[in-house]
Amino acid sequence: MNWSTILGLGLFVSGLQLAMPTALAAVGEAFSERAGVLNLGLEGMMLAGALAAFSADYYSGDAAVGVLAGVGVGLAFGALKAFLSVTLKTEQVINGIVIVIFAQGVTAFAYERMFGSGGTQPEIPTLHALRVPGLASIPWLGPVLFDQNALFYLSLGLVAGVWLLLEKTKLGLQVRAVGESPAAADSVAVHVDRVRFAALLVCGAMAGFAGAVLVIGDINLFGTNVTAGRGWVAIALVIFGRWRPLIVFGGALAFGITDALQLRIQAASGGSNSAVPYEVFQALPYVLTLVVMVVATVAAKRSAQPAALGIPFRKEVIE
Amino acid sequence: MRRIAGHATLAGIAALVATGVALAGLTSHGNAKSPVKVALVLPCPTNDGSWCQQAYVAAKQLEKEGLISLQVTSNAPQDTAGASQVIERYAANGAQLVIADSAWQDAAMAAAAKFPHTPIVYAAGGKVMGNVSTFEEPIYQPAYLAGILASGITKTKVVGGLAAFDIPLCHAQMVAFTKGAQSVDPSIKGVTSYVGDWNDVAKAKNAALALAAQKADVFAVCGGGPASGLISVLQEKNLSGFGYVGNQNSLAPKQMVGSLVYNLYPIFKAIVQDVAAGRYKAKDYNLGLASFKLVLNPKYAVTKIPAATLAKEKQVAAMILAGKLKVPYVTK
Repeated sequence: MNWSTILGLGLFVSGLQLAMPTALAAVGEAFSERAGVLNLGLEGMMLAGALAAFSADYYSGDAAVGVLAGVGVGLAFGALKAFLSVTLKTEQVINGIVIVIFAQGVTAFAYERMFGSGGTQPEIPTLHALRVPGLASIPWLGPVLFDQNALFYLSLGLVAGVWLLLEKTKLGLQVRAVGESPAAADSVAVHVDRVRFAALLVCGAMAGFAGAVLVIGDINLFGTNVTAGRGWVAIALVIFGRWRPLIVFGGALAFGITDALQLRIQAASGGSNSAVPYEVFQALPYVLTLVVMVVATVAAKRSAQPAALGIPFRKEVIE
Repeated sequence: MRRIAGHATLAGIAALVATGVALAGLTSHGNAKSPVKVALVLPCPTNDGSWCQQAYVAAKQLEKEGLISLQVTSNAPQDTAGASQVIERYAANGAQLVIADSAWQDAAMAAAAKFPHTPIVYAAGGKVMGNVSTFEEPIYQPAYLAGILASGITKTKVVGGLAAFDIPLCHAQMVAFTKGAQSVDPSIKGVTSYVGDWNDVAKAKNAALALAAQKADVFAVCGGGPASGLISVLQEKNLSGFGYVGNQNSLAPKQMVGSLVYNLYPIFKAIVQDVAAGRYKAKDYNLGLASFKLVLNPKYAVTKIPAATLAKEKQVAAMILAGKLKVPYVTK
């Protein structure tokens, strides 16, 4: 096997491209889980964001409008999830799964209605790469990090933004407090439900943006279930990253690069003629994630899970 | 008294039902030319540019010709329980033929257990019994012809295959593509990659890039998501490839050598005619190259295909159609 064709520059370009939508959704999910709300609706939010972004870009001819539409629909889904989980305090696992099933049905239906039957597959234009002068000519790092489209840089900015919001602001402190001990937060006049609602809006917006990055920044078309389970992987990556946005982000990149690696090993080993079944390669990113998760948990000797995760907050009324 | 009234009501209902059945019988016998009531169940949207669209277009054509009246469910659930429910609903509502356009063998059998008198056909081959038939998707045959053309196109002597899963259909197609190329030039190497998903365009795109990194410069593809992913790589890198199931030549007009086009019209027509004539029985409908053609793209411009290669492809196609050459069908 020729390893230079596997480990070349293309691996990292490919890996980052594969990783970015998952990474964005995972960082958003980390934010909401830190506030104590488990959002299993992530896959559906990404999918709905993807269709909104695609159709808005298609009809307006403007990628920025597409991105805004994706974020907008993500926000709406975040609000729906918050209404169900925070306002109505319904079971979070179930309402999340319901959102996924709803989004899968409604996107398939809407896509078919909007773009009609029997025509050619609609496409939106590719975003051009924006070379950062100077930096793009750094060997290795340049082409991977500084010769990407605008959505790539925006993604990095948003990830940094969510991290700052969580770790360095008052709202972030409140988010962490309501996720660990909502009663304590409540006792110092933090409005628990309001903070959780806000956290879900951030999560929904990130998921919608992730969908937009997938269709506008990468594949330029929409198809049924085009997110292909990225939302579920993102939820696992939050646990992998121990609920810390930057580690979650790093984990998502590692996952994407491993996925790109297995595709390249498969191709180099001949695929259907290979002695090793291709399923072994395909399992690689998942095996890696599992191993890292187990090792990290054992090494840390404690769970990093927010103590109030998944538990609706009900204010105790003293009679 | 109450009891008698109850009996009378029951008798009345029975009489009404009997009259209804008799009338229905009269009308169906009275007008032999009435269109066959067909229900088409699709696992994807009718505008997917590939699998579902081809079936939809074929059924619409039959409807236009007055041979059938058509009801369609798109985006039907893929799982056996979900799909069989959709099939059963149509059977219960009087469909004379249900076309279940996916590898829904189990769903078709489950529905047939409850509605044994309704003809049900499912896609992609398998068991046939009772009123359940299947229709084959012999994509490996045109894939062999595509391989022959690829032998005249490849500069690197490497051809690539990109498939969603290593299922018999895709496997046979990938092997036939490579063998077709090797039938002309045995030194040609084939590399294949499996995405592991029917819909994941982004991953398929990167799988195609990985194959290109292994110097593959002519591609065959199996699966709708993989096809979309491949097409964008073909355009980006100016490489050659063949479209999947639908005519995808216009999606990359310069890079598409041609498309392996699944024409379901003759298959559906044969089934509908069997039903209309009352001679329908469980059968494996396989029309070979007549239903799965290689449609060349006149605008293809990556390289010039040698005349000898084009002639060879024509010659082999004629041999396959005449039954003089059997394309190897390798599923594992």
